[in-house]
Amino acid sequence: MAGKERADLTNQIRRFRFEHNEMTQQALATQVGVTRQTIIALESGKYSPSLILALRIAKTFDVPVEKIFQLVDES
Amino acid sequence: MSASLKHAWFNLAVILLSLTAVGCLYPFIGWRANGALGLCGLLGFGALFYRKRKSEVVMDERDLLIEKRSALLGYTVFWVVYVLVASLFLPMFYGQNGSIPVMVVQWSVFYALVLFLGVKSLATLIQQSRG
Repeated sequence: MAGKERADLTNQIRRFRFEHNEMTQQALATQVGVTRQTIIALESGKYSPSLILALRIAKTFDVPVEKIFQLVDES
Repeated sequence: MSASLKHAWFNLAVILLSLTAVGCLYPFIGWRANGALGLCGLLGFGALFYRKRKSEVVMDERDLLIEKRSALLGYTVFWVVYVLVASLFLPMFYGQNGSIPVMVVQWSVFYALVLFLGVKSLATLIQQSRG
């Protein structure tokens, strides 16, 4: 019988921000239509974005969404 | 500071002001001090925090989620306290025949509002600070 799996979400938002002309959190927040506090919560892993927000962030950095957000399974 | 955070602080400040006013006036005018709960009318100005300014994001999906959770918690606490008060404390004070003074019923509405908004605002502050 398989054990209970707990999935965590990690992201590379901070890395992509720095790679895009050191974009500030506020600039990214304005670009994707959220508050700066949400970007802070995303980067620290305390908040998981909705699908639309994840796709908007991926579109901002012009990369596939899987490059930014990764699912980490913990068994 | 986001709009919902400012609103939560504002609600708590108004509630604290109202309860302080009631507490300060009670030694002098007794039960009439509950009229100071009218200061809770200032809570209506909380809507001003959600005015749209230029291209600023007023509320996003995370704020909405926090507000939803906080409202649920506020409602749950209110309901638990209401049932406790209505089924235990009121019969103890006013007897089993159900003759509760009208003023008590009036005040209970305001205190229920104070309890609900107080818990909701506190929950919003805690969740926003946790990220």
